[in-house]
Amino acid sequence: MSANRSRRKFLKQSTSMTAAAAASTALGTLGFPSIVSAQSGPIKIGIVHPVTGALSYSGQLSRLGAQIAVSEINEAGGIKSLGGAKIDAVWSDAQSQPQIGVAEVEKMNEAGVSAILGGYASAICLATTQAAAKYNIPYVVDVGVADQIVERGLKNTFRFAPGYSIVSREGIKYLHILNTVAGKPAKTVVIVHEESLFGTGTANLLARDLPGMGYEVKEVIKHANPTRDFSNIVLRLKAINPDIVIPANYYDEYVLLVRTMRQQGFSPKAIYSVLGGGASSFKFVKQFPDVANGIMDCNHWYNAKDKRAIALRKKVEAMKDQFFTYEVFLNYQCVYLLADAIERAKSRDRAAITDALANSTWDKHFMPYGPTKFVNGQNIGAMPAVLQVQKGDIRVVLPNTLAEVEPVFPWKA
Amino acid sequence: MRSLAAIGVFALLIALVPAMVDSGYLLNAIIMTLYAALLGQAWNILGGFGGLFSFGHAVFFGTGAYAMAVLQVNFGWNAWVALPAAMVLGGAVGGFIGALSFRYGLRGSYFALVTLAFAEVFRVLANTFQFTGAGVGLMVPLKESALNMQFGKTGFLYLILSFLIAAQLVAWWIRHSRFGAWLQAVRDNEESASALGVDVFRVKMLAIVMAGMLMACGGAFYVQYLHYIDPHLAFGASVSVQALMAAIVGGIGSVWGPLVGAAALQLLGELTRNLMGDAPGINLIVYGVVLVLMVNFMPRGIVGLATRWKR
Repeated sequence: MSANRSRRKFLKQSTSMTAAAAASTALGTLGFPSIVSAQSGPIKIGIVHPVTGALSYSGQLSRLGAQIAVSEINEAGGIKSLGGAKIDAVWSDAQSQPQIGVAEVEKMNEAGVSAILGGYASAICLATTQAAAKYNIPYVVDVGVADQIVERGLKNTFRFAPGYSIVSREGIKYLHILNTVAGKPAKTVVIVHEESLFGTGTANLLARDLPGMGYEVKEVIKHANPTRDFSNIVLRLKAINPDIVIPANYYDEYVLLVRTMRQQGFSPKAIYSVLGGGASSFKFVKQFPDVANGIMDCNHWYNAKDKRAIALRKKVEAMKDQFFTYEVFLNYQCVYLLADAIERAKSRDRAAITDALANSTWDKHFMPYGPTKFVNGQNIGAMPAVLQVQKGDIRVVLPNTLAEVEPVFPWKA
Repeated sequence: MRSLAAIGVFALLIALVPAMVDSGYLLNAIIMTLYAALLGQAWNILGGFGGLFSFGHAVFFGTGAYAMAVLQVNFGWNAWVALPAAMVLGGAVGGFIGALSFRYGLRGSYFALVTLAFAEVFRVLANTFQFTGAGVGLMVPLKESALNMQFGKTGFLYLILSFLIAAQLVAWWIRHSRFGAWLQAVRDNEESASALGVDVFRVKMLAIVMAGMLMACGGAFYVQYLHYIDPHLAFGASVSVQALMAAIVGGIGSVWGPLVGAAALQLLGELTRNLMGDAPGINLIVYGVVLVLMVNFMPRGIVGLATRWKR
């Protein structure tokens, strides 16, 4: 009897223990991690990008840039002030959806990350920075250009690169300089833009500011994403015959638009983009060298004279099917910016890293920004550059301090 | 009455979750499950009980989301006041689409295509008008307080739980009321129902208005939770698919189907994402394959399968 009872008791206990173990294993498998806040060993950094879904091309390039930087930092001995702690990146995929981005931030918080980096798209950045703010996790935005990302008073959010209004303002200024120096040959403009935040926002700013500088905006043409035939839009362009065409669209649509323009023999005095043009894409230049020649773009760009940038470009181009895009070098630099902040914070503590970022004067980068200075989370020294495809390569033409070659404006087709 | 009690028990159990769970990740996963269940129930009321398959439920979702955002951002309304207005607008859009479709006897794939077309038309409109922010979208200012319907995780859990319970009660009422019997009669044979004196047009209209209101509620929640909406997020096909998948996987025409489906999909999504997160895309392939298998081998959904086993 007693043996029976004790066996029953044993069975009951072992069953409940097995059930508890199974439940805990299952939860672990499902990724419901318990909060880990390691005080020694590697320092965890969450890196979130849209690696799958509609933005996967840019997301994967962003991840590549971060991967290179993380492995370089670790190979160079990790974070010195933390006894050589290695960076343990928690790679995460927002699947091109803001709500998945939020779920990933929650997961990273519980994995005990000390900081988060990335986002890429503005909609994702808006959601993820906010989710991270609830846990006071410092967040470095890699690209996300919407001005509102740094205008909501979130103390944890820092953007290294320029936002929307800075790039647009500089883009218009540089276009005017180009035209003025050339004797003002261009007077009319048509803007062709895609329908989402990026294209519409850019078009709105350009359409608002260009008339004040003496340009007549003949028409603003919006197109859907995706658009697979630009014949009608180019016919319209030919009918209007503007001096400058300003495309504001994503890569595929940009390629189709410019190729259709060439096919239909329409050559304006300039094809000038603000953010997102083919003149900042080595892929475009390589795939369509004849079409690419002469196009211009005001975009995120590195100091092309800096040896570190040249070395990184070589490294990326040596990889199979990889291109040295702004996604790559901005993420690369953002990881270094964060590493510098952790180094100075001498701590894994989120608040200490946030303070270090807020007081950052980091100048060991190859971007044309000068030492970092964050005001309300925006690095106020961040500036874009004007690029032009010349002789099959992307060259910086403005500002003069960075220029590699003289701009050709107007372009002779 | 037993199923009504089950809804009460479910509400109580979920209400106790914040007291037991500290994990923001788990709370977020539960919130997203309840949110998906709400969308699924909104689809189920029309598609499951009424047999009116819609491919464009995003039109109601987007209307609710945009109403919530526009009223707060452009007109300075309080979120609690904007919520009923968003629901009424969602219902009104349902009524409008219903009146046009049912008046001309559209059903089956024709009705599905009309809803899809309306969602697309609304997406284009939201993309065009300045008051909806056009392609830029609208951002609800971040002002965390219960007065602004902006909470922490626990608050949002209770908010979405209350929305879902309301949806569950509507589904329960449909299951047990005369109106529900009419609706199911219309689903099974419209002509016979009409011959028996059921006002087919009125019944369908009421169903689509209720579905529209609940879906708009989901849209309003999305805006409050993520503070941003754009035409693609609001009226994109993915919202419609999310709504119908929860109902189809769980079991259409049942009170608990959408919730079970949403939970299964959330679990599957988390599982594939966490197990294969380092190999981007593999998780989505596995997710898709499992989904195809589920739909193929469980045409009546998980709830249908459970019922069959019970017998």
